[in-house]
Amino acid sequence: MKPDKEFPIRRVIDEDGQLVGDRSGVTDDELKEFYRWLVTLRTLDQRAWNLQRQGRIGTYPPFSGQEATQVGVVAALDRMDWICGSYRDWAALAYAGVPLYYPLLNSMGHPVSGNIPDSVQALPVQVVIAAQILHAVGLAWSAKLQGQDRVAVTFFGDGATSQGDFHEALNLASVMKAPVIFVAQNNQWAISVPISRQMNSQTIAQRSLAYNIEGVRVDGNDIIAVFQTLKEVAARVRAGKGPALVEAVTYRLGAHTTADDPTRYRPSDEEARLSHGEPVARLKRYLLGAGILGEEDFQRIDDEAKATVDEAVKTAESYPKSASETVFDHVYQDLTEPLKQQRAAFRQRVAEGGGQRG
Amino acid sequence: MSVYEWKLPDVGEGIHEAEILKWHVAPGDEVGVDQVILEIQTDKAVVDIPSPVHGRVAGILAAEGDVVRVGTVVINFAVDGDAQTTLRGEPAPVVAAPPTASAPVSPSASKPRRALATPAVRKLARDLGVDLQKVQGSGDNGRVLAEDVRAFGEEPSLAKAPPAEKPARAVEAAKAPASGSEVRIPLRGIRRSIAEHMVRSKFTAPHVTTMDEVEVSALVALRNEMKATAAESGVKLTYLPFVIKAVVAALKRFPYLNASLDDNTEEIVLKSYYHIGIAVDDPDGLLVPVIRNADQKSLFDLAREIHDLTERAHAHTLTRDELGGSTFTLTNYGSFGGLFATPVINYPEVGIFGTGRIQKKAIVVDQSTDEIQARPMMSVCLTFDHRVVDGGTAGRFTNQVMRYLNRPMDLFLEMN
Repeated sequence: MKPDKEFPIRRVIDEDGQLVGDRSGVTDDELKEFYRWLVTLRTLDQRAWNLQRQGRIGTYPPFSGQEATQVGVVAALDRMDWICGSYRDWAALAYAGVPLYYPLLNSMGHPVSGNIPDSVQALPVQVVIAAQILHAVGLAWSAKLQGQDRVAVTFFGDGATSQGDFHEALNLASVMKAPVIFVAQNNQWAISVPISRQMNSQTIAQRSLAYNIEGVRVDGNDIIAVFQTLKEVAARVRAGKGPALVEAVTYRLGAHTTADDPTRYRPSDEEARLSHGEPVARLKRYLLGAGILGEEDFQRIDDEAKATVDEAVKTAESYPKSASETVFDHVYQDLTEPLKQQRAAFRQRVAEGGGQRG
Repeated sequence: MSVYEWKLPDVGEGIHEAEILKWHVAPGDEVGVDQVILEIQTDKAVVDIPSPVHGRVAGILAAEGDVVRVGTVVINFAVDGDAQTTLRGEPAPVVAAPPTASAPVSPSASKPRRALATPAVRKLARDLGVDLQKVQGSGDNGRVLAEDVRAFGEEPSLAKAPPAEKPARAVEAAKAPASGSEVRIPLRGIRRSIAEHMVRSKFTAPHVTTMDEVEVSALVALRNEMKATAAESGVKLTYLPFVIKAVVAALKRFPYLNASLDDNTEEIVLKSYYHIGIAVDDPDGLLVPVIRNADQKSLFDLAREIHDLTERAHAHTLTRDELGGSTFTLTNYGSFGGLFATPVINYPEVGIFGTGRIQKKAIVVDQSTDEIQARPMMSVCLTFDHRVVDGGTAGRFTNQVMRYLNRPMDLFLEMN
């Protein structure tokens, strides 16, 4: 088997923004809206990075480079479909309707960021690597048992595919024919571990063969290809054909988190080479080349994005602060006795001035 | 106009300090929001710092090359309006504050606040013998940082834990802790070596101790006679030289007690040389100087050497060679009144012989008539490594030593 032949990367626009595939099924207006979202999310992501550097939020995991995958996937879903993501999937959640200030509050340690608005069918972001993949299987299976017309989508990284949870999830979903779409965002790096050292398989998509489910590979930096692919895959999954594994090939443009320094382990020539086809610049080149948007439009979109993000920052920074003892909330309906004791001890410690920062 | 003070944040996860690598701005410069103003280096990364505000640089408070703690103000901006509060989002109300959290609590006089410090700093303080409670912390909320501990430790006038040279007895006697408090002595020097050595011995060799008593009227009489002669030569004759002679004579008959177990090669090493360690009680801790080739030395030689080694043990002038290489060890726990003991083997030896106090006891001297007399009795014990020596051998060895102690004249038969 030649996995790269068996699982070719689907692509509609290339790195330079040239149309190299069939664009059908995506209107100009949809593309404009996509672009507006990609720019807004990129602006938010970069601002969050700066806010961390300025000491205004805590650790933040940037998603720059993965916006097209996250937005393209969610755009292909129905409103009632489930979304289960990790800490790097705020772009997907934001596009689905979670307020833009949520990721900022999350990095400020505010528990409200886990309180997904009722209008959005999503679980809070998962920090445990690959755990959300199983949650998605559970939600999808449950929807199937209840006869609901919903699928579940889960986002995870290339590193997560080495976890047992990933394989358990694919197996169970396959056996139960659970309507779940596994979206592996192969951004080439699991913190400092490159994909070549992560797995001996040539592709992530080929792992679908082992579970006898559908597997496809798509250019994750090409929002048109992602959107089209997910539309098709979701239709089959929704029709009861069983789960599917989508490998979105992308590139993590920045660091793993604000605590990471990729220049220590990542060759700069690789960054230069793989950053060129990043999703925002790529779509911009296409839109410009196709005459769908002009320079003035781009300027306006940039300004609007900045204003939108300014507003989100303002909201996050003026949001009522969270009390530190909320760490005891939201896990048990009724706090267990040992936890009650811990909370009392914690209050005591806080009252004595311990554990606070200036 | 107002001043915005910018404090160095934790740009990683749990970073305490960073080095100022390069300033991209100078006082008087106009800066825009998110314009890179500074490069810093943490232990993880080189990091660009974007300006948090639009304004004019009013002051730069840290020079390139400085290592600055998180939370330190490194730059001031002159900004329009009240940027400090708008930026920080202060004074946003606190949701569901814990009932006591809002009232700042001052450390009450009766209950001293426990010094704030990380476990690593606490360990450092213990290592340096610094009392954390006495250190003025320079971190957030008075948190004691490693450099505070080091600085405090270098200050000679301030109270520290007793120095390692003279801890044990001084502390024992003088520092009876006040009721409810405790004194912590760093485990250092001799004390630490003893601790490590004892642990290694006890957790390596399965210890068994046998105890007995021996009637020593002949030994007492012999020693009393010889004491006077020895005194004429300026030698103080104790019982120890006799015990050494008795033990060495017995070791020659029981080679498995003058031995060691080589754990690496799984071989029992029988030694045909007799270097006898003698346990010396010292205020700073137990020392075991060694009498080499004890089998080749006279009672007087032994007495002189014991005296010399003991003196120099207390003076801490023994060389490393004089403190190692023994093949068997003696301990006289009787010198401080002990009757019974379970000594710990001086690993990797396989046995240690202990002698207790000599005291008169009523014993049956004639089994046929049941006649009872008061006789000087010495209690003895042998701890042996049961991997190498069994109870029977140990018992026979002890009996042999006791025979020599009971009939010291027999030692003449062993003379070479």
